Amino acid sequence: MKISNILLGAVVASALSVTGAFAQTKLSRNEIVNSLQGAQEKVEFSADDLRKQAFEHIKRFPGDNATEVLPLAAKLNQLRQFNVEVTFDFDSARIRPESYETIGVIADALHTPYLWGAKFFVVGHTDAKGDREYNLNLSQKRAEAVRDALVTTFRVPADRLEAVGLGEEQLRDPADPDGAINRRVQLINVGY
Amino acid sequence: MQPEKVRSVFDTVYGGYCVMVRIFCLLSALVWAGFAPAANAQTVGFAEAIKILSSSCGKDIETYCKSANLGNNEIGSCLENNKSKVSDQCNVDRARVSALLEARFAAQAAVPKVCERDSRQYCKGMKPGSGHILKCLLKAEKVVGKDCNQAIDWAGYR
Repeated sequence: MKISNILLGAVVASALSVTGAFAQTKLSRNEIVNSLQGAQEKVEFSADDLRKQAFEHIKRFPGDNATEVLPLAAKLNQLRQFNVEVTFDFDSARIRPESYETIGVIADALHTPYLWGAKFFVVGHTDAKGDREYNLNLSQKRAEAVRDALVTTFRVPADRLEAVGLGEEQLRDPADPDGAINRRVQLINVGY
Repeated sequence: MQPEKVRSVFDTVYGGYCVMVRIFCLLSALVWAGFAPAANAQTVGFAEAIKILSSSCGKDIETYCKSANLGNNEIGSCLENNKSKVSDQCNVDRARVSALLEARFAAQAAVPKVCERDSRQYCKGMKPGSGHILKCLLKAEKVVGKDCNQAIDWAGYR
């Protein structure tokens, strides 16, 4: 069950039919808690470092798709994390109603004492379709929309969450750059 | 944690009917009337609560709130501004969802006070903050008092 959920953890970037979207896999609070809690390497870079790096990456390695991995990717991969599927309107940062529950499950997880005190990056990713810089900006706005909902609607303390958009700079499956598997919101535990 | 209690509140609050013991019917009535049941009642998680908004108001949100997002009360104020147009079910349930969220916040806020004595007794010397005391109380469930355990359940902390 754990594996199937992780595999299905992709952000669907375009509008889905309402009936289709309700068929999402059921997320569990404890699954998120278990994936995110635990010992942590000391994270020595900030959300801003990461945002800047993604932006510079596009300038340094221009082209339709990224050819190199982000310098911080290896470090990010070592951190406790969880991928979720959040559906947004096409070309927009508006979270679709069928994903409210998913945001609620994340809020339920972040409210448990097991994750108190820890800080998280809410990282938005797109697939490789379209312009890289555009995707970077869109994913930043989407990550901010998720963070805003967690902080305001569900009152997760604002200082525990930072929104980062990585666009198409860190594809989950570089062999399938346009695949849905790349569209996702990642929660990454960045320690205390 | 008694699952059947969760179930009964869920049924009475969401199902709109009352099949369980009187106290839960009363609780349901209070929620219906828009009174958050504060910290002295079973509550539901954020996911369960917000799911009601998408199922009862999803269609209206898509019709009237195409530029509103979930955060910053954008959806809440959009539905309020369009209350004469949105479905009756949505108008009933959006108030219910707010009450459920408030009830959970209140239940969380109540824990430190309800569990004060147990914290002093079983989690002495624990560093405050970062959930240390609560994690200690969770581990000490078997010896922790009934009220504190119940407050922890109602807060969704277990």
